[in-house]
Amino acid sequence: MLSVGVVVVAVLFAAPFVFLVAGALEAGGRVGDILVSEAIRRPLANTLLLGASVAVATMVLGTVLAVLVGRSDLPGRAMWRVVLALPLVIPTFVGATALIAATGRGGLIPALPRVEGFAGSLLVLVVFTYPYVFLPVLAKVSTTPASAEEAARLLGHGAWRTTLRVLVPQLWPAITAGGLLVFLYCLSEFGAVALLRYDTLTRSIYASRLLDRELSLTLGLILAVIALAVSLLMRRGGESYTAAVGRGGSRITLRLGPVTPVAFLVCALPVAIGVVAPVAVFLTWVLRGSGTVGVGYSGWGDDLGFLVQPVVGSTAASVSAAVVALVVTLPVAFAQVRRPARWVDGAAGIVTSVFAIPGLVVALALVSWAVGAPAALGWLYQSFPLLILGYVLHFGAQSLRGGAAALTGVSPRFDEAAATLGAGPRRRFLAVDLPMVLPGLLAAGGLVLLSTIKELPATLLLAPTGFRTLATTIWGAATDGFYAEVGIASLVLIALSAVLTWLLVLRGQTRR
Amino acid sequence: MKRLVAAAAAALLPAALLTACSADSQPAGSAAPPADLTVYSGRTENLIGPIIDRFEAETGTAVDVRYGDSADLALLIEQEGDRSPADVFISQSPGAIGYLTDRGLLSKVDAETLDVVDKDLRNADGRWVGFSGRVRALVYNTDQVDPKTLPKSVFDLTAPEYAGKVAVAPTNGSFQDFVTAMRLQEGDAVAEGWLKGMADNGSPNYADNTSIVQAVARGEVPMGLVNHYYNERALAEDPTSPTDNYFFESGDIGSLLITTAIGVLESSDDQKGAQDLARFLLAAEAQEFFSNETYEYPLAKGAKANPALPDLKDINVTTFDLDKLGGGLETTLQMIEASGLTTTS
Repeated sequence: MLSVGVVVVAVLFAAPFVFLVAGALEAGGRVGDILVSEAIRRPLANTLLLGASVAVATMVLGTVLAVLVGRSDLPGRAMWRVVLALPLVIPTFVGATALIAATGRGGLIPALPRVEGFAGSLLVLVVFTYPYVFLPVLAKVSTTPASAEEAARLLGHGAWRTTLRVLVPQLWPAITAGGLLVFLYCLSEFGAVALLRYDTLTRSIYASRLLDRELSLTLGLILAVIALAVSLLMRRGGESYTAAVGRGGSRITLRLGPVTPVAFLVCALPVAIGVVAPVAVFLTWVLRGSGTVGVGYSGWGDDLGFLVQPVVGSTAASVSAAVVALVVTLPVAFAQVRRPARWVDGAAGIVTSVFAIPGLVVALALVSWAVGAPAALGWLYQSFPLLILGYVLHFGAQSLRGGAAALTGVSPRFDEAAATLGAGPRRRFLAVDLPMVLPGLLAAGGLVLLSTIKELPATLLLAPTGFRTLATTIWGAATDGFYAEVGIASLVLIALSAVLTWLLVLRGQTRR
Repeated sequence: MKRLVAAAAAALLPAALLTACSADSQPAGSAAPPADLTVYSGRTENLIGPIIDRFEAETGTAVDVRYGDSADLALLIEQEGDRSPADVFISQSPGAIGYLTDRGLLSKVDAETLDVVDKDLRNADGRWVGFSGRVRALVYNTDQVDPKTLPKSVFDLTAPEYAGKVAVAPTNGSFQDFVTAMRLQEGDAVAEGWLKGMADNGSPNYADNTSIVQAVARGEVPMGLVNHYYNERALAEDPTSPTDNYFFESGDIGSLLITTAIGVLESSDDQKGAQDLARFLLAAEAQEFFSNETYEYPLAKGAKANPALPDLKDINVTTFDLDKLGGGLETTLQMIEASGLTTTS
């Protein structure tokens, strides 16, 4: 039963691969030439360098932040929980535009160096993607009993040493899972790096999409294969640690004392760059207004009615995608943790690597599939369900990795105990496993939600005609320089994401 | 378990809301009619949405519009083939609509609609027609550059005194169309030489026109090659922006007119409605809208440009056999890529 589910899910997620392979096959004998061409080597090296650097940096930053928020006596922890998640909701192309406007000559703060190139891309991607690590690790911290740390303390270890040697190893599956997501995100990223003038493989994919479709798809396949290889290497996100038993996930084990100000700064800096700076830029754009005659939003006090439809669209799309992604990928996560097998890892690898394929390619793959489908399925094309399927394929990696990381922390012994008491598999899952992994699952669903709410290329191609989201509104306004409108729509997007994240994800975690 | 139920409810709620809302957005009292006409538009909603609304109001035709990047939408239409829901394609530039012309996906625009514009603003075979336009210009920072010192021709920008000073957007459709036009007017060798010269001159490259105008306004780079319209937008957003447009001398390829074009899909089952929209976009009301509200040049014969803009006659724009702009994009892209202009910084 479980195996059937895993196979079905894997076949579903293989659709973009099939599309890419078909495209590469059209290129035929050229594939070899493309792979060794000089034009590919540099962008590919740039992509890998950026992805690896951002992944490592976010693993460190996300873990430090999660431990501070989850285990230390840092003041304002409830607030940090929400605001530290917020940078993820800002679409990176808007965040990059805002940070470019904020820094360098003629910027809001001219003294700051201009954000661009590799360093600029590194900074921008780190501040807008570290929540991929922070959220699942924080969830893991909340469900990891403090008993092992307390034992270490009793044995005379210092608080910091205990955190590093006892807590962090227990968090490792969640840390690597988050780092993998960040790496894959960087592979597919296009908007921000183009604005920051850093040349990556996605630029070549976009630049050649009309000129040379086969080349474009072959490059997409290269990304997908790299993603598959990396996700198979990191297939279970490290070893499973189930040493500690008991409750007390929200216990404070790290008293900061004199380093409190430093810890405060560590939390404040990413929020300053990833939330405060963009918000300040958006506000200046809104307050400055716009001398538009009959088109676009003209600034503070203008009618906001045009945002109602995008808000409803964004909410509907993101919540539906999060729930469906969790349900669809849960069998794979469960099988991977509880019934490990090579073929299950393969299935999980396919699900994971779709995240690294640019959204445009995922969308075109679904279009080719839906257009070629039998007439009875004709209604599906450009329907809301197909759009949700697109999001689930693109972001299923997040719910899968988050779900698996959450399940890894639960000792199968509880399950075994329940079995000896006569509980069937379904009842064991619902009554034993689910309550323990729920915070992790909510965090995983939260990632899908936040990714969906800012998704652009697939939304533009797959959504029902006339369907609007805040992201499409922001894109339209940004394309032609309607900055007041970009500002107000971005502020609303941030507010909506904060509300949804609080209602659906964080409330469930803190209530424990 | 309760939470699962709650989550499921949370998933269904927005879908219900959405249904309710989409019903709301229809005119009161009418049951939601299916759209009569579907438009794929590479022009953004701010620039074309209001005039499509007026078309709906005046003709009673319900129109659905899918907005997106022109090139992406052209790919989508190709992928959809016969089953494309689109009746009409509106392209930001001749390049993307030329892609569809080359693949035989467009039917002919009505002759009387074609006749509204000069023949160099439409496809020779009548597959598409331009309805509004932007002119290529050199945007400059008024604090840093004296316009009297600016050159007469875009070809002068490869001179040493402009090293590192002229921003370009080589991945942008308008820039590519401009290079295609240069190839056709001056020959491939000249175009190739110019691209190489710009690259060797260390001309910084940016993602798009908007980024260039912002960078010039900040003083990050003193000037850049863009479409005229983006500086008008920048000034609307921030009247203090120290930027202005400079137009190259009459006949220079540097002041090429780039058209926004409309085409009717061969696969459309509503050829008449699609043709009506094309005619509407070239009629007086729409032409005035483009002129007065979006800072574009109207293209219908006799239509007047916005008084804030220099007259087309004074710029002496280089019009062109735009037909050829669509074809030949492939060579242009290869040329740009080979010049190294895309990897300068």
